[in-house]
Amino acid sequence: MTGSRIHLPMQSIEAQHLAELVDQFLELLRDTEIGEDAALKRLTPVVYPEDPDASAEFADATSADLLDRRAADARVVQTGLVALGEGPETPQEELSLARSEIDPWLRTLASLRLVIASRLGIEDDPAPDPEDPRLGVYEWLGYRLDLLVEAADELDGV
Amino acid sequence: MSAPLLTPAVDEQLDLQAAPAVPWELVVWDDPVSLMSYVVRVFRTYFGYPKDHATRLMLAVHNEGHAVVAVGPRETMEVHAQAMHDYGLWATVRRAGE
Repeated sequence: MTGSRIHLPMQSIEAQHLAELVDQFLELLRDTEIGEDAALKRLTPVVYPEDPDASAEFADATSADLLDRRAADARVVQTGLVALGEGPETPQEELSLARSEIDPWLRTLASLRLVIASRLGIEDDPAPDPEDPRLGVYEWLGYRLDLLVEAADELDGV
Repeated sequence: MSAPLLTPAVDEQLDLQAAPAVPWELVVWDDPVSLMSYVVRVFRTYFGYPKDHATRLMLAVHNEGHAVVAVGPRETMEVHAQAMHDYGLWATVRRAGE
């Protein structure tokens, strides 16, 4: 640990996989209307469940910006993944994040998990097929997110 | 608009001054996706709550299905809600006591 950055192991294959997910997420954000997609709805929750008018007004004023911020976060991750292993100071298979990159990474990993959970129907009955390969991706994202939270908390000294 | 011809009744002024500032609540709801460690970190770093308090709030969300994580003016709660949505948490706003 060097004090102001987080260092985490990340295999090239993981980085590649994550980069693909982030690209797909950016595509989803760019090409899809919120109302048409359950995952985008989950990323822009209804703020006044008892008051549809106030909720609609709030959504009109804020949802587009909210998704723009998701895209901005995702681009920080994209850039970080491109830089992975490049340059003399960054060893292969190590992810190194500055403090300012932590929140965009956290929010993007959490968003990707929410999108996949929505696609899988994680809350549905019956539960998703345990053989569904997306379930493995979902769990892997949880593992990466937990690692990142742990490292970020350590950097904060808590 | 023309200037008022009459001075408002004193009672009306008092009524205006007495208008109560009804507090609003930011509520975070349990969901099966958000990781416990992540939710604690969000409460800690965004609201500046000590880790113990952030952990108690996370457990309340998890065990009781939801928890009030902030109270204050409606506009402030709406700003907090957007921040929680940024982190992927399921947050709503309501009038206190509802």
